[in-house]
This record gives sequence, C-alpha cells and structure tokens, in this order.
Amino acid sequence: MSKVMRIREIPILLALLLLLLLTGILNPAFRTGDGMTAILVESALIGFLAVGQTNLIIMRHIDLSVSSTAGLVSFLVGNYSANHGGVTGGVALAIALGVGAAVGIVNGALVAFLGLPSLVVTIGTLYIVRGIFNYLASGITVTADQLPPYFAWIGSGSFLGIPDLFWVAVIGAAIMTLVLRYTRWGRDLYAIGSNPQAARRVGIPVPRREFAAFVLNGCIAGIGGLMLLSRFSFADATSGLGIELYVVAACVIGGVAIAGGVGTPAGALIGAVLLQTIAFALGALGVSQFWQQAVAGALLVVAIAFDRIVAMRSTHRATRLVEVPV
Amino acid sequence: MRSGKFRLGWDKGIILLLVMLILFGGMSNNLFLAGDNINFIIGDISEVMLIAFPMALLIIVKEIDLSVASNLTLSSAVIGITWHGTGSMWLAVLAGLLSGSACGLLNGLLVTKLGLSSLAVTIGTLALYRGLCYVLLGDTPVADYPTEWTDLGYVPIPGTFLPWVIVPMVVAALLFWYVLHGTRMGRWLFAIGQGDEAAIFSGIPLKRVKLGLFVLTGFMCGVAGLAYTVRFASSSPDGALGYELLVIAAVLFGGVAIAGGVGTIWGVVAAVLIWGFSRSYLQLAGWDANALVIVSGLLLLLSVTIPRLLSKIRDAVAHRSSRPTGRGGAAPPPGDTAEHLSPAVAGHDQGSHRG
Repeated sequence: MSKVMRIREIPILLALLLLLLLTGILNPAFRTGDGMTAILVESALIGFLAVGQTNLIIMRHIDLSVSSTAGLVSFLVGNYSANHGGVTGGVALAIALGVGAAVGIVNGALVAFLGLPSLVVTIGTLYIVRGIFNYLASGITVTADQLPPYFAWIGSGSFLGIPDLFWVAVIGAAIMTLVLRYTRWGRDLYAIGSNPQAARRVGIPVPRREFAAFVLNGCIAGIGGLMLLSRFSFADATSGLGIELYVVAACVIGGVAIAGGVGTPAGALIGAVLLQTIAFALGALGVSQFWQQAVAGALLVVAIAFDRIVAMRSTHRATRLVEVPV
Repeated sequence: MRSGKFRLGWDKGIILLLVMLILFGGMSNNLFLAGDNINFIIGDISEVMLIAFPMALLIIVKEIDLSVASNLTLSSAVIGITWHGTGSMWLAVLAGLLSGSACGLLNGLLVTKLGLSSLAVTIGTLALYRGLCYVLLGDTPVADYPTEWTDLGYVPIPGTFLPWVIVPMVVAALLFWYVLHGTRMGRWLFAIGQGDEAAIFSGIPLKRVKLGLFVLTGFMCGVAGLAYTVRFASSSPDGALGYELLVIAAVLFGGVAIAGGVGTIWGVVAAVLIWGFSRSYLQLAGWDANALVIVSGLLLLLSVTIPRLLSKIRDAVAHRSSRPTGRGGAAPPPGDTAEHLSPAVAGHDQGSHRG
C-alpha cells in the first residue's frame, strides 16, 4: 500500500475522487453526469496542452507561448473556413501543425542551440505570436455558421459517455506517458531533468532532446488550437488568452515538479481535471462566483505546499533508511 | 570574464539606445518630445517602473514573482473598499500599502519557510490575489474617487509638465540604486545570486533577505496599485492583466540576468523608458497597437540573444587566438558551476554573458 501511495499520481487521484464524492453528496444535481461531462469538456484543452508541457517541465524548461500558438491556430483555421466556405480536416491539421511546429522550432532553436533560458524566450514568443495574431484578427470574429459542422460535432460529441475532446487529451496523455516510460527518448528527458550535467557526460544529446520536445510542444499547442475552435465554435483576437499559466498549474498540481526529473503526462491530465473540478464543485456547492477564483487559487497554493511537505517527509524517511545501517 | 578589453556593457548599451531613440524621435516627430506627450509617457510607464525595481532585486537573487499584477489590482481593490467604507483616502492608501506588503509576505513565507519554487508559488498566488479582487469588488468597480487625488495621475507639478506620479518613481529609483549599488545589502544580493551556498557560508542571512525582498515587492505593488487607481480613477477586478510578464520583460531587457547575480538599476530604468518611448513613438506614427506587442516580444528576445551570440563569437575568437600561445584565455569554460540551477531560468551554460 505504501508503495502504491508513493506513486505521485495516486494522492492526486484520491483527492479528485474525494472531491467528486463530497460534492455529489452535498449537491444531488451534481450526480446526474452532466456535471462530470462539463468538467471533462472544460479540462480537455488544458489537460492536452499540459501533456506537452510536462515533457518540458521534466527537463526543467517551460513554454509559456502555448496560449498564443493555440489562439493563433484557432483563428487561422476559423478564418480560412470563413473565407473559403469551409475547411477540410487535412487543411485544418496542416495549419495547426505548421504554425505549431514553426513556433516550436523558434523556441527550441533559441533554447537548445543557443542555450537561452526558456522562460525568457517563451515570454518573448508569447508576445510576438500574440501580436501577430491580434494584428491578423483585429475586428474579425469567426462564428459557428462559418465553420464546417464537424467542429461542433467534435466539440459536443461523446464516445462511451466521455466527451470527444477529452478522449483527445486521454489518448495524448496515454501515448506520451508510455513514450516517456518505455522509450530511450523518454528516459533521456528524465535523465536530463534529474541532472543536466550528468546527462551530457553520459552522452545524451541534450540540445537535440530539448529541441525535439519544444517542437513537439508547439505541435501539441497547434492541435490545442483546433480543440479550442471545436469547443467554442468561435474565434477572435482573445482566443486562448492567458491559459498558459493554467497549463503550468495543471502540471504542478499533477505532480510534475518545477525542479525537473519527475512527473508524468497522465498526472498532469489528472491535475487539469482536478483544477476544473474544484471550480465546478465550488459552483455546485453554492459558493458565490466571486469567491470561486480566490478559493481555487488558495487550493492551488495549498496543493503546491502539500506536495512539497510530503516530498520532504519521504526524503527524510529515505535518508534515515540509508543512514541507519551505517 | 571582465577582460581588460573595451567592452560596452549591456546596461550602457541600452542607455545609448534610449538616447538615440529620444534624439531620433524628437527630430522625426515634433509632438514626440512635447510636454504633454512626456507627461503621458511617464504616467503610462509608472506602474511597470515601480514594480520593475524590486523585481530586478528578486531576479538578481534567482527568485521571481509572477503575482505582481494581481497584487497591484488587489491593492487597488483594497483602496477602493476602504475609501467606500471610511471616506478617508489617507486610510485607504495605508490599507492598500498594507495589503500589498501582506501579499508579498505570504509569497515570501511560502518560498523561504517551505522551500518552494517561487515560480510555482506565485502562479498560485497570482490566481489567489486576482480571485480576492473579485471577492472584494464583485462586478462593480469603485470609480468615485475625489478629484484632488485623481488629479495626481496627470495634472503637472506646478512649473513643470511632469505628473505627480513621477515623484514616487524618482524616489524609488534613487533608493533602489543606492541600496543595490552602494550598500552591503546590495553586495549581499549579488553574492546570493552568484551562489546560494557560498552566500550562506559567508554568513548572509539568505532566507531573511529573500523574505524581505518579497515583502518589498509586495509593498511596491501597493504603491503601483495606488498609482494605477489614481491614474484610471477607478478600481476594477480585471485591471493590469498580464503586467507581470511586461515587468519581467522590462527587467530582463534592462540587463538583469535571469540566471541571477547580474544587473543594474539604471539598466532597468533605461529599459522601461525605452519601452515607454518606443510605444509612444509608434502610437504617434499611427502604428497598430499590436505592433507594440510584437516589438515588446522582439526586444525581449534580442536582449537575450544578442549578448549570447556576442559571447559565443568572442569565445570562438579567444579560443583561436589562445591556441598558438597557450594563454589569453579570457573565457573560463562554461558550465559545471551551477548544476542545481534550472535551465528554464538559467539557460545552459549560464554565466558571464553580461558584464
């Protein structure tokens, strides 16, 4: 049991289940399943973006430009559709991957090959992409009737009772978690995050891994833009504004440590769902909407502090175990 | 790598850039240096400048505070409800400064007592403080401030064209300059930034210094909150959105190394002024507001890319010229010194890329 509890994702999952249970007991309307569906739809985009962000945070990097990339893609695809009377899935995907990869290549090249700090680089690209996006989108609004119907189907459809958008996030998280756990490439990321110097000395091509992870994250942000468009069937200059910090928050809550070397995309996805569940639970429990963000923020701080305290206690125990025989 | 060769430091470089910008702007557009426009620019940059000073000190000691914009808005909200509750602006201002400092204290305690990463903590408190703004104000902004206070935002000081908000900016600039470059405390900050452990072993009370810096940052958010309230004559829960990244961008452009241990107050002042003047110039020239966002991003990227490229070139040249004689190694091999530093914050071979 204690071994199971030491898997970082388990306590978060327990917290999530406990929260759902409590809310369900206190507010019967929450039990209907509509509440759960809404939570999953809302957390899909943040969770999917958190999957790519996890790769970077594991290597002690960060990418704040994802909100701008996702917003730009959602607008470009929507605008293409409005101008050409529709857009095929292939073109939409090409725009998403093209724009995403372009931003990812810029971020990755500056960080991996010039050795610049990713926080600074991605704040810079956040502004540049957001500026280009707002310039292109100024005064233009793309609405549902200008989009092909499959966007709305994906945005509101579900399979086996789980919303399609959330499936995208689940599949993304599952694949990436397996890649990180079982491939050479994935193990390299953990090695780099645990000790960059050691990773370099044992011959891991650190810059190439970093570059690849940034490009991948750009592509994920691009696909996130398509999810954003299907979710709202709407795009304008404010699409995706400010979600980058929620993505990082989801990772941190989900057990991906800012200090690097630990965490999984699956955990980050659970973190995103927990973040959204807190918001919904507060609403369902009749907490005034004005209090909701404050309570969510407080819980986020508590979650970060709690994770640290648990980590400190377990390292304390670990060092004791090592020291006793000596 | 302070070699004997002439080297134009980043902070001197951007002061030169600022002078060139002002000369060029003044010659090409005669509205640019008009008193009214300068008055507007000073007001426009006031909040960013006020918070940029303590943020520079935080980044020098390798910490960061992303909650500053939320903290500013919360201070503004506290000023608003205290003004409504008591009818005294003086009490309201006091309450706003206290609220700002208290928020800074909470950040500082979480970072220093629990040993949490300031990046993670302040993403959390960013949401918390912004949420508290909604708790305090609901969806009704406070906008009935007395005119003798709101005048302070733009009415010039008699005999000049400068607004009253320039007073706290100048006072803060002088104080922060003195503390960072003229006192033992300032040398402690650089020492902490260059290596936590060395600083502890040399007897610097690391945690208390960092705690103090977070409280100071909170206090300056309170001052900036007052400036914001006065300038816009209102307190609303969605004010100053995204200012945190703007402040950080300005500090980094001002030559404060994100890896810690390097930076000057004059560089920060020049960076904020460049941002304000170029924004104003582009606005007067009829540029789209979005161009300004792109320019901010480009300035930030260039401010880290150019020094890194220059130092790579310099290293390559030094390497080549040192091979025949075996000396002249101005550049120590990078890396190995800061394994514990996050490359998200430091980059890889962080170190002497700014003099």
